[in-house]
Amino acid sequence: MGDSQYSFSLTTFSPSGKLVQIEHALTAVGSGQTSLGIKAANGVVIATEKKLPSILVDETSVQKIQTLTPNIGVVYSGMGPDFRVLVRKSRKQAEQYYRLYKEPIPVTQLVRETAAVMQEFTQSGGVRPFGVSLLVAGYDDKGPQLYQVDPSGSYFSWKASAMGKNVSNAKTFLEKRYTEDMELDDAVHTAILTLKEGFEGQISGKNIEIGIIDADKKFRVLTPAEIDDYLAEVE
Amino acid sequence: MANSAIDVPPRGGFSFDLCRRNEMLTKKGVNPPSFRKTGTTIVGLIFQDGVILGADTRATEGPIVCDKNCEKIHYMAPNIYCCGAGTAADTEAVTDMVSSQLQLHRYHTGRESRVVTALTLLKKHLFNYQGYVQAALVLGGVDCTGPHLHTIYPHGSTDTLPFATMGSGSLAAMAIFESKYKEGLTRDEGIQLVVEAICSGIFNDLGSGSNVDVCVITKGHKEYLRNHLLPNPRTFVSSKGYSFAKKTEVLLTKITPLKEKVEVIEGGDAMEE
Amino acid sequence: MSISEYNGSALVAMVGKNCFAIASDRRLGVQLQTIATDFQRIYKIHDRLLVGLAGLATDAQTLYQRLVFRHKLYQLREERDMKPETFASLVSALLYEKRFGPYFCQPVIAGLSDEDKPFICTMDSIGAKELAKDFVVAGTASESLYGACEAMFKPDMEPEELFETVSQALLASVDRDCLSGWGGHVYIVTPTEIKERILKGRMD
Repeated sequence: MGDSQYSFSLTTFSPSGKLVQIEHALTAVGSGQTSLGIKAANGVVIATEKKLPSILVDETSVQKIQTLTPNIGVVYSGMGPDFRVLVRKSRKQAEQYYRLYKEPIPVTQLVRETAAVMQEFTQSGGVRPFGVSLLVAGYDDKGPQLYQVDPSGSYFSWKASAMGKNVSNAKTFLEKRYTEDMELDDAVHTAILTLKEGFEGQISGKNIEIGIIDADKKFRVLTPAEIDDYLAEVE
Repeated sequence: MANSAIDVPPRGGFSFDLCRRNEMLTKKGVNPPSFRKTGTTIVGLIFQDGVILGADTRATEGPIVCDKNCEKIHYMAPNIYCCGAGTAADTEAVTDMVSSQLQLHRYHTGRESRVVTALTLLKKHLFNYQGYVQAALVLGGVDCTGPHLHTIYPHGSTDTLPFATMGSGSLAAMAIFESKYKEGLTRDEGIQLVVEAICSGIFNDLGSGSNVDVCVITKGHKEYLRNHLLPNPRTFVSSKGYSFAKKTEVLLTKITPLKEKVEVIEGGDAMEE
Repeated sequence: MSISEYNGSALVAMVGKNCFAIASDRRLGVQLQTIATDFQRIYKIHDRLLVGLAGLATDAQTLYQRLVFRHKLYQLREERDMKPETFASLVSALLYEKRFGPYFCQPVIAGLSDEDKPFICTMDSIGAKELAKDFVVAGTASESLYGACEAMFKPDMEPEELFETVSQALLASVDRDCLSGWGGHVYIVTPTEIKERILKGRMD
């Protein structure tokens, strides 16, 4: 604290009252790969495209969807390395909560804690905001839940949401397709169709990722084979 | 934040702010209370396809039995369990803490935890506290390198053994193991031997008692047999209970009704019924 | 002398059918001198959760303040009351934090879950939890209470019978302990109400 007069925050208000660094962070998110999430009646699905810079990259080594606790999963759009930092912090937070209360952390609490970290990075010295938006999917005593967290640290609960390169198209598509009583399987289909909308090239189990959680409260990432099965159903 | 006047949630670690007062009290001749211990017989052995752990279920505070059916086999990871003897709070806390670290490690690496990882984390913590964290442990599990069994002493030293015992009943249990253990036991023989060793502790050591808990860990599978054997059932309870000739004299009664729980009825579903 | 005998105390909690009872004596002493005979040892955390703190009264009151503080923070943050099990874990964590310089007090926690299932629990001064299905005891009269409860308890008692059993066990036990007694304070909690009663006991 105050160890140097140069350790001021990069995120300083512009004369017009904007925090340009946050807007730049949102731009980074907006140019990231598309991710989306849908809350169904009996579960939540999150999905993302996984475009790799070259076909020479081993696609099994890239995991864009991560589990935070057994019943909470997360996906991002934006900068991968920033995402890893947030995942590490969130898992630690969840584990600390569990150690104190011997009860799994509720989704809202974990989202709030993660959002608090992101907010802190918009106000601290010597750091920059995170260049990612998160979609957090979880299932707890309050049922299925889907949250989006932005670089500013603001968060909202969504029925269905999308972010990244194709936000507007994807959101319009979801608005058309979404119904309240949707089952999880339908939600997975809708998620795939939405991804397909703006997808360049042939969609397959290897270049998208899907994570689901249903009433058994176990979040899991689908294997490429399972995704291929869903893809076959959609066609 | 760090020196905030109010009592903020802890960031982990011990707090020593009452130590000076407590030391002053001890000097004045008022002694600190005793802690809950698990006198305990805990054992473990390696059998042909894995590891079997066993424990009694008595917790004591001095000469008083304060829990007749406590759990001494603690979860570390899906493929690793750990029996604890010593101060109950320490065994509980140290195993919880390490199991939490293992969970985070599994998230990072995406692989099954190894028994040596658990062993190293436990012994590091215990060695750091120079024996003041009073936990004597028997750690067992099966990982990608096969079955493992270790004992950990409160000062942080460890052993790697085919069969092990710990706690106040360790001699009684070891007597059984030394005379009957052989390599390549089957599952049933293994459980039988563990039960026998624990029973030897239950009946010959005063710090151990009540029931036998067993945990069988094999490759990719585990079975926690809580109260596998109940050799000491209650014999004295009267089924009718106790009736009191004279009622207690009540000086004052205050009744506070609780708020009715508000039942939220979901619009759609309730209408159809 | 042990520090837990400085003020003297007796605490007991028992489980009934969809209800529980928690009771304490009313004496506050300084060794053999009695200071007060209307001392409160049982505190309310929320409507369905009570905690009794045996041991050194100064530590009990400090710990109680910290517990209330932590529970209120939890309520504000999570917009709900703590479950009894959760609260027990919190108390345990707070006590173990002071492993090498403990609060000299032994808590008894009793609560009803959202499904009206009773929960009782006690722990030592460094937070080793003991979850019992029938009864838990604490304080200087704990040895006699163990005996009395072990004989008098039976499963699935209705509130009135539970009250009678817990009161008799408490009074019988404190009569054999110089450091506790002077009446009793009993709380019976059912899904619909908290019944609080003051018992008449020996005043010697």
